[in-house]
Amino acid sequence: MKRLEHLKCYGYILPGLFFMGIFTFIPVFMSAYLSLFKWNVNYPEPHFTWFSNYVEVFKAPLFWLVLRNNLIYTFTTIPISMSLALFLAILINQKMGWIRSIYRGCLFYPTMIPMVAAAMLWVWIFNPGLGIFNYYLGFLGVPKIEWLYDMRYALIAIIIMSIWKNFGYYMLIFLAGLQGIPNHYYEAAAIEGATGWKQFRYITFPMLAPATLFVFVVAIISSFQVFDQVFVMTQGGPGDRTNVLVFYIYQHAFRFWDLGMGSTLTTLFISGLLVAIWLVFRVLGRRVYYEV
Amino acid sequence: MRKIILLLTVFFFVAGLIGASETWAQKEKVKPKLLRLTFYYPVGVAGPLARVIGEMTDKFNKENEGKIEVVPVYSGDYDPTMQKVQTAIMAGNPPDIFMVEISELPTLLAMDAVLPLDDYIKKMEKGYWEDFFAPFRENATIGGKIYGIPFQRSTPVLYWNKEAFKTAGLDPDKPPKTWDELKDYATKLNIKDKQWGVTISGGWNDWLFEAFVRQNGSYLISADGKTANFDSKEAVEALEFWVELKHRLKVGPPHSTWGSTPPDFVGGRTAMLYHSTGILTFLKRSAKFDFGVAFMPQKKTYGAAVGGANLMIAKKIPKERQEAAWKYIAWMSNVKNVAEWSVASGYVAVRNSAYEDPAMKEHVSKNPEYLVARDQLKYAHGKMMAKNFQKVREILKRQLDDSVAGKIAPAEALKIAHKEIQAVIQ
Repeated sequence: MKRLEHLKCYGYILPGLFFMGIFTFIPVFMSAYLSLFKWNVNYPEPHFTWFSNYVEVFKAPLFWLVLRNNLIYTFTTIPISMSLALFLAILINQKMGWIRSIYRGCLFYPTMIPMVAAAMLWVWIFNPGLGIFNYYLGFLGVPKIEWLYDMRYALIAIIIMSIWKNFGYYMLIFLAGLQGIPNHYYEAAAIEGATGWKQFRYITFPMLAPATLFVFVVAIISSFQVFDQVFVMTQGGPGDRTNVLVFYIYQHAFRFWDLGMGSTLTTLFISGLLVAIWLVFRVLGRRVYYEV
Repeated sequence: MRKIILLLTVFFFVAGLIGASETWAQKEKVKPKLLRLTFYYPVGVAGPLARVIGEMTDKFNKENEGKIEVVPVYSGDYDPTMQKVQTAIMAGNPPDIFMVEISELPTLLAMDAVLPLDDYIKKMEKGYWEDFFAPFRENATIGGKIYGIPFQRSTPVLYWNKEAFKTAGLDPDKPPKTWDELKDYATKLNIKDKQWGVTISGGWNDWLFEAFVRQNGSYLISADGKTANFDSKEAVEALEFWVELKHRLKVGPPHSTWGSTPPDFVGGRTAMLYHSTGILTFLKRSAKFDFGVAFMPQKKTYGAAVGGANLMIAKKIPKERQEAAWKYIAWMSNVKNVAEWSVASGYVAVRNSAYEDPAMKEHVSKNPEYLVARDQLKYAHGKMMAKNFQKVREILKRQLDDSVAGKIAPAEALKIAHKEIQAVIQ
């Protein structure tokens, strides 16, 4: 009887596993295998070369620039969009009747627009002469910035756009978390004389830990997967200053048609991401308090 | 019991699918006469040109009803088109006809993917091949064999805003003729934070850079595609001139994208623009001011590298499909269609005799600026091409971008480009 029960469970996950296998697991192992081959325009047939692709990756100065760009993106977008999301979630969680749904809708709508469409939109917003971004900055006395054209600002422009695009989703998760915190905690705290910051520090923040961990992990993954906005807005330029990991992989695999190199980069990318997430769970996961 | 029903349902479902696909396959066999060909094509510049290709192809399909049907597939601009063609080739299912950026030919040959067209060309009317402008023929030929028929072809030209010239006190009918004049005019036209003097467009700045090197009397890659020549004195001078304009004098944006600079010109953000002749129709429709089209200014000589895409046929498809594909290409490249395409798009008509076509004659008598790119062909050369061209482009663009931002000296940058590119193309 127990055995049958087990079999049934496997039966249920089988269809999912089947498609995951075809579209995720097999490709992952295939690219790990192919990363040991030279396979490009010069070698139309795969040619086994051990780890020479990996050596080549680490020796390319461009790879380090790309990694640097991506890390800058990660370490700026995550803290800013997460704290913005938390702040706005707390504001929106106040009781203010019907107006709340309007605010919520306004804040959430960037998340609902497809990334490519949003990126096209921001190309115009950032246009140095005609765009509204410079127009409004002009009122603040900021001199004209050539956002996407300028090496110094192009990555910042992408970061601004991505924060605008992503914080709404995080905000919604925080909001759901906030609404799950029972009110009597706050009542008890109020009786004891804890207000404002103390309530946040000792009730809200710990109770939100599971939501925060989830948002953090999702944010890390999406910050390394950044691609669409770069593809549409800058194509990695000017001078590779907005070239990020997935775009770099795309360039090698589909533009240079260097499948060996593309596989090598993909394998490095996946392993790096797995290690990062494992670290997050190890360091933060055990500090999270789950209310049962 | 339930399980049995479920199993039976699945069984019949699968059996039904197999059955259906078999009858489908048989149907295909019964009617083998209609050849349905796929045609991947890009549109490199702004404009509703996809529609024009669709309309022309419809006409062809009507003439060949029941025998050949060409299905045009718009595949993005040049880079995505090349990707799609390459992917399809690797998967063993190439499009029958494709139009890719001219510098990609050596890469496609390395993949053994393109059919030589000499035999077909021999069967055409006398003088068919020679009727194409010579610089356009260069990028279709490697090792004495012809692999493509020029179709969507262009050269870069200089656009100038006549009203901005007037405002700056310059003669609105006299565009700059030399690099020195260009620098002088750009400085006069430049209004800080409002209007650039001259924009040398980014995105395909490698192509525009090649034009500057040609104007200075040199080249970037040898005609056989094997030897790089990026660190010549002439190339360094050309890049130094860019650095002067964009970095030291700050009369042009150091970086930009290919798609954003035509709207910049239309919006009065730049007084002069280096861009493809293919945007001329877009500018004519959108600009609210009078503008002119001129040869790119010269240093030692006028000069340009031609650009655009050729029509090609896949090598690994059955003979009858190749013949049908050639029929389509021969039709698309007949004088009347070449003229029609040029009028609709603003691209250069690729054949000499197309300019004798009545529709074309009328068009250029009303809009003489469409003749500038053709006349510039006298000074134009084939575009550099080599294996792994996508990589060549990325390497060169990186060094150009870094140089005009003042991050690296031109001589140094081109030395790096030279070394890296030589390693990639041999």
